[in-house]
Amino acid sequence: MVEKMTATYRFDRLEQTLSQLNREDCLIMAGGTDIMVLHKSGRGVPLKLPKPLIFIDHLSELKQVFQNHKDIHIGACCTYSELLEHPLIPVSLKNAIKTIAAPAIRNRGTLGGNICNASPAGDTLPLLYVYNAKLLLRSVTGDRIVEISDFIQGPRRVQRYQNEILAEIILPSVLEEGAYVVFEKVGNRNADAIAKVGFAGYIRINEARIEDVRFAFGAVGPTMVRSIDIERKLVGKTIPLADADIVQVVAGFDKIIRPIDDQRSTATYRKTVALNLLRYFLSMKQYQAN
Amino acid sequence: MIKFTLNGKTEETNAPATTRLLDLLRDDFELIGTKEGCGEGECGACSVFVNNLLQNSCLIPIGSIAGAEIQTIEGILETKKFKILDESYSDAGGVQCGYCIPGMIMASAALLSKNPHPSKAEIREGISGNLCRCTGYNMIVDAINQAAKKGDGIW
Ligand SMILES: Cc1cc2nc3c(=O)[nH]c(=O)nc-3n(C[C@H](O)[C@H](O)[C@H](O)COP(=O)(O)OP(=O)(O)OC[C@H]3O[C@@H](n4cnc5c(N)ncnc54)[C@H](O)[C@@H]3O)c2cc1C
Ligand code: FES
Ligand code: FES
Repeated sequence: MVEKMTATYRFDRLEQTLSQLNREDCLIMAGGTDIMVLHKSGRGVPLKLPKPLIFIDHLSELKQVFQNHKDIHIGACCTYSELLEHPLIPVSLKNAIKTIAAPAIRNRGTLGGNICNASPAGDTLPLLYVYNAKLLLRSVTGDRIVEISDFIQGPRRVQRYQNEILAEIILPSVLEEGAYVVFEKVGNRNADAIAKVGFAGYIRINEARIEDVRFAFGAVGPTMVRSIDIERKLVGKTIPLADADIVQVVAGFDKIIRPIDDQRSTATYRKTVALNLLRYFLSMKQYQAN
Repeated sequence: MIKFTLNGKTEETNAPATTRLLDLLRDDFELIGTKEGCGEGECGACSVFVNNLLQNSCLIPIGSIAGAEIQTIEGILETKKFKILDESYSDAGGVQCGYCIPGMIMASAALLSKNPHPSKAEIREGISGNLCRCTGYNMIVDAINQAAKKGDGIW
């Protein structure tokens, strides 16, 4: 019996790619670093895929980085290595990218792939949540923009229609002055390790008063954990924060962080580390804008 | 039909576009210096250059390399850079069973081309995608350090 080969497409232009996606449900491949592992077929056997495969990693339309007023637009198919070298990419995002895998993977893996793969441990996700990142999805019928927190629905589940491609990641107002943003990743070793816990913190201060503050936790739930309610309670408070305020915020997250045990770590460890990272962030005496 | 450049020569293949570059290199072109370790991006034994960038050939379906320039360990054997790495690895005792070495050499060359004077920490970062079961890495780090010094000016 001859097995049917997987159909593959590689068009020169985004437009043709979108038309094909409008005709036929395809598996979109950017760098392929998640797809190739997920569909690993073994030595000498071409991949077996559930759908036709469409390559997008070469499309120049998806590889631009540019500034529009105070926003930064990042093409979904920019590789990690490309972003590390780009002057517009914020230092905090570069620091997160440096914790991802190793050079060879960073030469292939894309920011769009990390988002659409929607792994609870995706290392760029906590930061993208605290940046309030918006995603531009493009199809033959036009563009639509969604919040990253609405797009990602669960592990490997995103709210994308069959005919859409994630075209751009938008970091709104990221060039506004005065925010201090950090990403912390706890893994088994420094390089090439999947996160056991990820934490991103964002804080903007004006004359010792908190104007805006955001937190997101990775790898401690099916999607990133963020709470607008808890964040709002801190707005207007002065730095350094009173112990009672810190205790209250930590207690708030203690209730909503519900990690799992898996081969990488235990639920108890994950929660303890997540709350320690938060407590450390809240206890800082000053926050230097970066 | 997929066309690409392999070690400086124009080549083409009729293999299915979902074939892994690793299999194409080893089975169709008999370039067996590129090894398979894990088959999932973790070990670096399959490292090659795609358009001068270090990549894992086990994670690349050949449909995505149309028009690209591929270089394998065989393609750099005659270069001065390889000779210096070869000597430095021998001098530092950086080779035991040798299985990881073609990938290590590719990663070493990629690192030094980007950063000709790496610190020890940067060397470790540069080979962080390459696993070695034998040496414990210290001798490999020494080898790269030596190669940086010996090859000063050529990277
Ligand atoms: C050895 C190894 C180590 C790794 N280490 C890390 C790590 O430390 N941290 C981490 O976060 N990840 C890690 N990863 C996972 C992976 O490299 C990243 O998630 C990467 O960003 C995926 O990008 P990609 O372009 O390769 O995705 P692909 O595999 O091409 O795609 C992933 C998913 O997204 C979809 N997709 C991709 N682009 C688009 C688009 N533009 N529009 C619509 N859908 C799209 C695909 O259909 C697929 O479902 C690792 C992977 C490997 C193999
Ligand atoms: S075989 Fe490709 S990284 Fe291990
Ligand atoms: S020398 Fe044996 S795996 Fe590295």
